[in-house]
Amino acid sequence: MLTLKDLLESTVEKGMSWGADFCEIRYFEERSNSISVENGIAKSLSSGVLRGVGIRVIVNGRWGFASTSILDRESVERALKDALGGAKSIAAYASEEAKVAEVKSSIDSVVHNVKIRPEDISPEEKIKRILELERAAGAFSDRVKDTFIMYGDVITKVIVCNSFGTFVEEETPRTRIACRVIAKEGDNLQEGYEVLGNVAGYELIERIDAENFSLKAARKAVELLSAHPPPRGTYTVLVDPKVGGLFIHEAIGHNSEGDHVLSGQSIIADKLGKKIASSLVSIIDDPTRIGYGHFIYDHEGTRAKPHIIIKNGVLTGFLHSLETAAKLEGEPGGSARAQSHHHPPIVRMSNTYLAPGDMTFEEILEDINCGIYLSGSQYGYVETQKGQFTCKVEEAWMIVNGELTEHLRDVAVSGLTLEALTNITAVGKDLVIGMPGMCGKSGQSMYVDAGSPHFRIDGIVVGGRR
Amino acid sequence: MEKTELSTPVEKAIRMLSKINVDFYDVVASYSRSLSVDIFRRGIKEASSRVDLGIGIRVFKNKGMGVAYSQSLDESDIERTVNRAVSFARIAQPDPYFKGIPGPSKAPQVPGLCDKEIIDLTLEDASRIPREIIEAAESVRAGAMYIGGFNAIYSKACLMTSTGVSIEVEKTIASASLRLVYKEGDDVGSSYEFDYGTSLSDINPNWIGKRAAEKALEQFGSKRVKSDFLPLILLPESSSSLFSSLLLALSGESAVKGRTFASKLLGKQVGPENLEITDDGTIPGAVASSTYDGEGVPKRPLKVVERGAILSFLHNSYSAGIMNVESTGHAIRGGYGGYVGAGPSNIRVKPGESPLDEIISDTKRGILVVNASFSPNMVSGEFSTTIDEGFLIEDGEKKYPIKNLMAGGHILDVLKNIELISKDGRIFGKGHFFPAIKIRGVKLSGR
Repeated sequence: MLTLKDLLESTVEKGMSWGADFCEIRYFEERSNSISVENGIAKSLSSGVLRGVGIRVIVNGRWGFASTSILDRESVERALKDALGGAKSIAAYASEEAKVAEVKSSIDSVVHNVKIRPEDISPEEKIKRILELERAAGAFSDRVKDTFIMYGDVITKVIVCNSFGTFVEEETPRTRIACRVIAKEGDNLQEGYEVLGNVAGYELIERIDAENFSLKAARKAVELLSAHPPPRGTYTVLVDPKVGGLFIHEAIGHNSEGDHVLSGQSIIADKLGKKIASSLVSIIDDPTRIGYGHFIYDHEGTRAKPHIIIKNGVLTGFLHSLETAAKLEGEPGGSARAQSHHHPPIVRMSNTYLAPGDMTFEEILEDINCGIYLSGSQYGYVETQKGQFTCKVEEAWMIVNGELTEHLRDVAVSGLTLEALTNITAVGKDLVIGMPGMCGKSGQSMYVDAGSPHFRIDGIVVGGRR
Repeated sequence: MEKTELSTPVEKAIRMLSKINVDFYDVVASYSRSLSVDIFRRGIKEASSRVDLGIGIRVFKNKGMGVAYSQSLDESDIERTVNRAVSFARIAQPDPYFKGIPGPSKAPQVPGLCDKEIIDLTLEDASRIPREIIEAAESVRAGAMYIGGFNAIYSKACLMTSTGVSIEVEKTIASASLRLVYKEGDDVGSSYEFDYGTSLSDINPNWIGKRAAEKALEQFGSKRVKSDFLPLILLPESSSSLFSSLLLALSGESAVKGRTFASKLLGKQVGPENLEITDDGTIPGAVASSTYDGEGVPKRPLKVVERGAILSFLHNSYSAGIMNVESTGHAIRGGYGGYVGAGPSNIRVKPGESPLDEIISDTKRGILVVNASFSPNMVSGEFSTTIDEGFLIEDGEKKYPIKNLMAGGHILDVLKNIELISKDGRIFGKGHFFPAIKIRGVKLSGR
């Protein structure tokens, strides 16, 4: 019987013999389980299996890509022909020359071990635990209107086989749990949210302390009922590790992605080796560190390394795929990932963070006469080509004479990347990387994490409503 | 693009389920084939094709729901998927609000949703479109860096339920976009344009390329503006986010369970007398049209806002059941992944009396918003957003493009403060219609 390995290897061989200069086939499989609980009822359980192959080829300097969820030999062969035909179909037009960095082949198999495999815990036991966590939120106050918990575990298996001779297999388990609480007082509705997730097994759920999870979400929702809209204008802000992580990801991370650099969409494309940030700033993207964005091999089969993007304020490197490394003369460091077999690998961040400095939170705070403390991140986005970013924040406090005063809600901030990086004037020592999430780019969604210590940025526009 | 047969695997699953003691079930299988050609940097980068196939099963037992899906339609995988959904339904706890799933209804087919030209499209044909987009942009001014492309998809789905629904639907969608960046020293001129429709002839590559380039050139020399309280003129690309958010907040479970800013608005005045919004999923040839919704309920036009007042929620069968009303046919099923939600289809905001040019020329000082999302926090209704692309208007004229400016407020205040609705607007996906609107005063945060 034809094994998966045979199918993948023979497809690459065929691709090369049919005229490809480079051929890669990637098998993708994702097995997921989820449970959703609403107001004390585990009303739905779900499970899914996604799997298929994606094939990329270069023929005469053009990329072709094809994917299929149908895994018989005939369908895979048709996909190969589609990929080859695709590359040939655009041969006649002025095109972006396709190229990949020549790399040594890797043959390896990686399985991330977890303490408790989620499949070894029965759904009933999981429900019991989730309900227990949810109850803590519901019992917090009579102003709690609704409580929700979304639990999910997923095992992602990726095999990369290419014409360099690479055959790399990696199986990654991830577990994630999120709690959402809606609080109500009259017509005023507010929301609190907490999420935990990692490359981990069910031990992540067992270790949760409700105080730092569901109870925290409930407290946030209830306290926001009496918070005020923020004032308008430009302020010095002190950000917590979640807002800081979002800022690092949006403002600088996306700008350092090799494909954005290559296509003229990055504001820092021509700044390599130049000082673009305050000397207090060092930014690292590290897939080798345990976090939601952790992996050993990327989806082109390149072994991952930590990437220093900014060191003491100087731009030292970009994140690369095999293609951007070849074109920007960088080193392939394993930053290419794909959402599924239906997507070609593109440059992605992994676990991105600002390196810690030497100040305490109190020291940073006491120097601010008039500012805003931003805490908890909702989401953000960036227009890399303009270097303009927006971060939505869960809650905030006014800072007056070094003290936290008025509680604020629904705060968003906007800034210009190059200015904001220069205006980082204090960096704390309390680094936390803990915002497991999905980052969207070019229609693909990918597991990432981010964080920072507390730090201070001057001159940030706060979107106020008064 | 070749086709595939979906009723056999669905019937297989239905047969297996009919022998098991459960209360309700539905099975959906879907197939899609898509072609895309990407634009990157200075030219065309990659041509791709994708084939996707999957089956999703929902089972209800004692008001608890189990869901399972698979991308494999092999007999043994269908059986495993059925068994997982059944075992999950037995474990799930009763949802007191669940009343069942809809039965069959007949509806006249909405025409024009499946374009033969897209079904027969090859990558060679498809690559003409991105090439024309780039040529059009270059004809305005050469030398930009590009990201964008063209995508065409043919999809087919088959839904059968324990209540007797049995439908098959087909659809084609074509879309194209271009983001481009011009540079002059450190100054950047950048913009974006897009178009989508159900047929290939809906896409005008020349218009996309030219308009994106013209808009980008206008963005050179952007400046900061001081914090202020000014009228905003939202172009259709931005007013769309405001109206879509309102309709989404009126949709389904969250709306009827009091979890959105619009939950208590039924029958209430939210906008000016001339504000009228209809949701119509039956417009021939429109992207958001379909003969049936995600649960097999026929689509029908629904007046949501009349004379500025909210008339109706947008229901699927679950939210309709909570309010003891009929579903309005707004169930949305996200493929075979299992979840069935609710949301708008083609949103049509009735055009007003004022030409857009006149609205601008009558504005003493304000901001023309080309692109910004006015989607608020769906629970509280508060928003705080960056104006991603816009201009300062002074004495009825565009003065200069603005940067790093934010607008904030409550979505209900914005709706209440709609001063003018333009006569002209933009049709999106051949179905949505959004006019430009002028908002009396919005708080702006800047320099």
